[in-house]
Amino acid sequence: MALVAAPEILSPYYRSLALAILADVALAVSWAFFSGPSRYLSLATGAFFGAGAYVTAIAGARLPWPLPVLGGALIGCAMALVVGALALRLRGPYFAVFTFGLAELAKHSLIWYETGVTGTVGRLILAPPGPWTLYYTVLCLAGLAVLTALLLRRSRWGYALAGIGADEERAETLGIDTTRVKIGTFALSAAFMGAVGAAMAPRWTYLDPQVFNPFVSFQTVIMALLGGATTVAGPIIGAVFLGLASEILLLKFRYFYMLGLGLTLIVVVLALPSGLSGLAARLRASPSPLPRPQP
Amino acid sequence: MNPTLLVDIVVGGLITGGIYALVALGLNLQYGLMRVLNVAHGEFLMVGAYLTYSLHTAWGVNPLLTLLVTGPASFGAGLVLHRLLYARVLAAGEAPEALESRSLLLSFGLLFVLQNAALLIWSADLKGYSYLSIPFRFLGSVFPANRLVAAGVALAVSVAFYVFLKRSFTGKAIRALMQDPEGAQLAGINLSRVHGLCFGIGIAMSAVTGSLISMLFELTPFIGLPYTVTALVVVILGGLGNVVGSLLGGLILGLVETASVYLTASDIRLIASYGVLSLILILKPSGLFGR
Repeated sequence: MALVAAPEILSPYYRSLALAILADVALAVSWAFFSGPSRYLSLATGAFFGAGAYVTAIAGARLPWPLPVLGGALIGCAMALVVGALALRLRGPYFAVFTFGLAELAKHSLIWYETGVTGTVGRLILAPPGPWTLYYTVLCLAGLAVLTALLLRRSRWGYALAGIGADEERAETLGIDTTRVKIGTFALSAAFMGAVGAAMAPRWTYLDPQVFNPFVSFQTVIMALLGGATTVAGPIIGAVFLGLASEILLLKFRYFYMLGLGLTLIVVVLALPSGLSGLAARLRASPSPLPRPQP
Repeated sequence: MNPTLLVDIVVGGLITGGIYALVALGLNLQYGLMRVLNVAHGEFLMVGAYLTYSLHTAWGVNPLLTLLVTGPASFGAGLVLHRLLYARVLAAGEAPEALESRSLLLSFGLLFVLQNAALLIWSADLKGYSYLSIPFRFLGSVFPANRLVAAGVALAVSVAFYVFLKRSFTGKAIRALMQDPEGAQLAGINLSRVHGLCFGIGIAMSAVTGSLISMLFELTPFIGLPYTVTALVVVILGGLGNVVGSLLGGLILGLVETASVYLTASDIRLIASYGVLSLILILKPSGLFGR
């Protein structure tokens, strides 16, 4: 409720901070509901986000507001279907490398296309919707992402996905159509990412191919892992935590912040495999000091 | 096609390819042996390049002599990183896929740390110096002498490593571990020690390549990632764990890229690299000459 009423009482600065954090929540939650249980490490978030943003940049002025967001969702979904069909056969780090290459490939192809064919470098976003509209759009998306994650967890698809993460061959032997479950969930998460990209694009008045930013992919992964990728609350906690940290640190100490982010990732991987939410659960379970990570 | 253009492409391609081969060899050693996909590989190249730049501009050390600093220093750093980070993950004894994902995330963390540390130390401005940029004529074409020297050193190091792998006792242990980790350990080979050694050698190769590159191009803290991608393409092209494959793959990629730049007169280098990488991953995930 507080989040719905927020734009009424918040100053523009805090409204925009809340907007950024909600977008992070939507990204991290939709990343985690696919990659968390399935253990397929996707670094394609930046690609879907960028594609969505470009939908708003190209068609935003001609379509009434919620339509570009829908278009972003569709394009993200379509990209994921193609990429998923090609790449979800790859296991382990190959899938991660492939999806990481996707954002870079999209960026460089777009730069090449824009400079060679259309003769522009970037695009202006004309007639952006008002800040409140944006806020409620992103709030809806974040809410929908959380709802999807909750529903998915308790559904047959959710269990199937977890089965794939535990042992894909066994899941297949048990009669799960692994390809359909993987591609379907991947496309659903990509739809959210595209929609968030489309909804966040009006925040910049000028958009260039740099919006296909691998940093978006990494930040999403770090948020989800920091909070704990296999729970629903984890990615939300991680996104709020890092969203606030980046807001405070990013502008003043840009490089220190990014350096800290790298260290955070290393520490999380080494010492907190189940994230902050896992840590909280362990603390509740045992009042004794934490067991040291086994060297 | 006139003969001068052909010489331009072939020699230019071999020069680029020799450098690619050395970077790729380091990455392949790490992946082939430990299944650690080190995406921070190119960042060590970047750090090596900056070290040489700093030593040369601050104290006037000959760039080629700095290899004697960057090589051992990065080797030591590799040993420490292996001990602190990767050995812990590898010792956790999880399923191979979970292990590969975790070590991948670790190296992404390293990438962030190294790149931003470099930004703090050396700033984002272009840095460079001029060394041996005298023209060298060869069959009617002209090449800067520094490129020939850099490629020559890179190839020499690659070949030396190959001989080390084939002839020395340690090299034999490395090959044994690549073939059959359990059998090799039963024969008394210390897995963790060889892993650390290879991680160090891999990183030293990357840093040494960086020192060589600093003689040719201007530096920014962002030069690392494109080399990582190139090395990945070469490794996947040549097959994981295949040393000769990496050497040949590097030379082939160098030739293809140089030819595409000369013939299409536009910089589609990165698009081509990612395109080739995606295609190989989709068509033949085990690599062109893969096992």
